[in-house]
Amino acid sequence: MNKLIVFSILLLAFINAGAQSRFFTKDAKINFNSSTPLEDIIAESNQATTIIDINNNEVAFSVLITTFKFRRALMEEHFNENYMESSKPKESREAADKMKDFSKAKFKGKIISPIDWNSEKQVIADVKGDLTIHGVTKEVTLKAQITPGKNKIIAAAEIKVIPQDYNIAIPSAVRDKIAKEVTIKIEAIYAPYQQ
Amino acid sequence: MAKKLKTFRIILWIFLLGIVVGVSGIYYVFNMPRRNVSKEKAVYTLEAKQLISDFKNDESAATAKYIDKAIVVKGEIKIIRTLDNHSMVFSLEDEMEGVSCTIDSADVVTNESKLAALTKGSTGTFKGRCSGMLMDIQVINCVPE
Repeated sequence: MNKLIVFSILLLAFINAGAQSRFFTKDAKINFNSSTPLEDIIAESNQATTIIDINNNEVAFSVLITTFKFRRALMEEHFNENYMESSKPKESREAADKMKDFSKAKFKGKIISPIDWNSEKQVIADVKGDLTIHGVTKEVTLKAQITPGKNKIIAAAEIKVIPQDYNIAIPSAVRDKIAKEVTIKIEAIYAPYQQ
Repeated sequence: MAKKLKTFRIILWIFLLGIVVGVSGIYYVFNMPRRNVSKEKAVYTLEAKQLISDFKNDESAATAKYIDKAIVVKGEIKIIRTLDNHSMVFSLEDEMEGVSCTIDSADVVTNESKLAALTKGSTGTFKGRCSGMLMDIQVINCVPE
């Protein structure tokens, strides 16, 4: 809860800070891929919101869980149920808070490699920060491909996560169909944020 | 003897029918059609402004109330965008912190004439599934009303 408040404040701070230092998109692509010999499961959303501030190299990324699309409707339902189960006793405050936390996945961090924002040359940079999925926050480091530019920044990143680390329980009936490690890929084309 | 044979036949038919129903049932569940929000009765019909203020006042309560529900939302269209995958996004009331209604590419095609009438500054009404709030409130699988 506190983290969410801090995140919201930071997000607002991002938006209200000096002009043209922030780049932004609401249409970032994110997909995750669980591949096993039995089944390949791919889900994609192209409605992720992300901000880069080139003054302090801070990055924020967030996506709503229900915007992920799967090949099969059944997969989508199972996936969402895993997040929605907390909804049952909606009246309780705790359940509502949990539901809000579960409704999105987010990352907030910093590009720790040196980066020349004027170069327009693609670089591979290390990004370190907090990844929150299913209400569980873990510190992660990932590699991102970043192409700086005056009018747009192109970025792509990949990270492997273990569902159990984020308290995502996988029913034993489908355990063999879901990979131990899930690969998350992100692609974003940022535009300058104009107030 | 003939009676016994008849009983046996009936049982056999019931048994076969059971198999057919069972197999098609499993097949249906496995390949079940995607939820079609446009054919559902809206659980809530409200102004975009009301939805925004509900989420701003108490995001947890609003998430619990609206998430995954079919809603009809109405508001002033501030910006219209077409994404790479040919789906369209209509932002109501505010570009950054308003309500973003996404229409899937297939529904863009089937609702072409209705969508053409929706221009920046006009009032749009959309039915879709509420996904929650990031900066904006996202409503997905929308169709124009």
